[in-house]
Amino acid sequence: MSNLYERLGGENAVNAAVELFYRKVLADGRIAQFFDGVDIDQQIAKQKSFLTMAFGGPNNYTGADMRNAHKRLVAKGLNDSHVDAVIENLNYTLRDLGVPEKEVKEVAAIAHSVRDDVLNR
Amino acid sequence: MLKFEDRLVELRPGETVLEALERAGIDAPSSCRSGNCQTCLHRAVEGVPPPESQVGLTQGQKALGFFLPCVCLPTSPLTITRPDNVGARRDAVIRAIEPLAPNVIRLRVDADDFAYRPGQFLELVVDGDLRRHYSLASHPEEDPFLEMHIRLHENGRMSRRLGEFKPGDRLHVAGPSGTCFYEGVHADQRLLLIGAGTGLAPLYGVLRDALKRGHLGPIRLYHGARSRDGLYLDEELKALSRTLAHVDYRPCLLDPDAPAGGDVAATALHAEQDVKDCAIFLCGGENLVRRLKRDFFMRGVSMKNIRSDAFTPSG
Ligand SMILES: Cc1cc2nc3c(=O)[nH]c(=O)nc-3n(C[C@H](O)[C@H](O)[C@H](O)COP(=O)(O)OP(=O)(O)OC[C@H]3O[C@@H](n4cnc5c(N)ncnc54)[C@H](O)[C@@H]3O)c2cc1C
Ligand code: HEM
Ligand code: FES
Repeated sequence: MSNLYERLGGENAVNAAVELFYRKVLADGRIAQFFDGVDIDQQIAKQKSFLTMAFGGPNNYTGADMRNAHKRLVAKGLNDSHVDAVIENLNYTLRDLGVPEKEVKEVAAIAHSVRDDVLNR
Repeated sequence: MLKFEDRLVELRPGETVLEALERAGIDAPSSCRSGNCQTCLHRAVEGVPPPESQVGLTQGQKALGFFLPCVCLPTSPLTITRPDNVGARRDAVIRAIEPLAPNVIRLRVDADDFAYRPGQFLELVVDGDLRRHYSLASHPEEDPFLEMHIRLHENGRMSRRLGEFKPGDRLHVAGPSGTCFYEGVHADQRLLLIGAGTGLAPLYGVLRDALKRGHLGPIRLYHGARSRDGLYLDEELKALSRTLAHVDYRPCLLDPDAPAGGDVAATALHAEQDVKDCAIFLCGGENLVRRLKRDFFMRGVSMKNIRSDAFTPSG
């Protein structure tokens, strides 16, 4: 049985999802402000890291890395509702791409699992 | 063999370039360490990085030797440098300096062995430490000089200094840098070039390079200016679009009474609804570039089809 990342299609799945996902995030008034002023080109690369991680793909992030990456955002008010919104957009993206519901749930579970680190608590 | 600038770096079998740099005590940023976030970006100035270390980079970056050290297991000798290292300063001599419009000059300098792609920018250095970026409007295969279009800001340090220069005077150049050039574009793709003020300089370079390389698809160039004088290549570009059926020049004079803002960004966004498959080049002030980049991306243009340079003021 192959792992989640392989079932989703690996790197190609990340590439197919990243721009779709980022458009949804920028269009979502609940969270768009956290991405203000950051260059889109650079953000796309960071979002690839995010998706690779959420898809269960190879990554070397530690909990401390996640704390550091989001510290600045937590200072600006990042909370549970924003994490929920990101996961919601992730779900919509995967459904748009025709990913089966079972895998959508597995991805959401991985994203949920780093919530405490992302929120620095 | 691995070299970081002038320094030999030991590379152990199975070790990535990032690990080797870190072991050698060289300050190398990283984050994901798996080839996604691009935090570790470096550039090879000699040798060819393996293709798997360039996954996700733009065609322009690949052409310039950029790569990701965290996923780079070199198979041949490499000499690398930080991505923003512009290299050694070179001597340059002013060949011509003349007005294009009331506040815009055309500066042509001679510099030996300065390889570049039209649309890239260089660092102009005067008086030892006054440095500013300027984009290249010239074409290396057609012009024996480097050409820049420079807006003179009233209190600008470089602007004021340039006002005192004359042909024969010496200065320095370094670079080039930037990936806003004609690379990774299909010959029959629609090209959309949008800029304001001296943002025309790199677009003019890109336009000439596209034509030189036999671009066949329709090319549309929007140039925005606050006054008629500011459309400083108006005659030449009008003549060009009369001669070449696939070139369409759209001068945009700022119209403060227009409902949507009346600037070149508003005009282009209104006229260009179907942009999904265009190759887009955006140059000029930060706000203009940021707005167009975002709006075109949201309309469905992939970021790999959007190239841009924002003329961010220095310091
Ligand atoms: C990648 C890149 C490419 C560039 N290419 C070009 C080019 O091709 N042609 C060109 O003319 N410039 C270009 N620039 C801008 C250029 O590098 C300088 O920033 C500009 O010429 C001002 O330098 P200065 O020393 O005259 O002014 P400074 O002494 O640096 O600034 C003095 C004051 O001038 C005003 N000012 C400076 N820049 C601007 C601006 N853009 N808009 C409004 N007010 C401003 C500000 O009030 C500032 O405080 C480019 C910048 C970048 C980053
Ligand atoms: C749901 C769990 C989340 C995961 C797994 C996650 C993962 C990541 C990863 C891997 C990075 C790249 C870090 C780097 O290499 O620099 C990152 C960066 C970022 N994340 Fe998240 N993230 C999550 C939630 C959020 C939320 C809720 C927001 C805001 C609404 C957010 C906004 C950002 C921003 C703006 C960056 C870029 C930071 C920078 O460039 O400085 N993230 N995230
Ligand atoms: S550290 Fe993220 S791409 Fe190299």
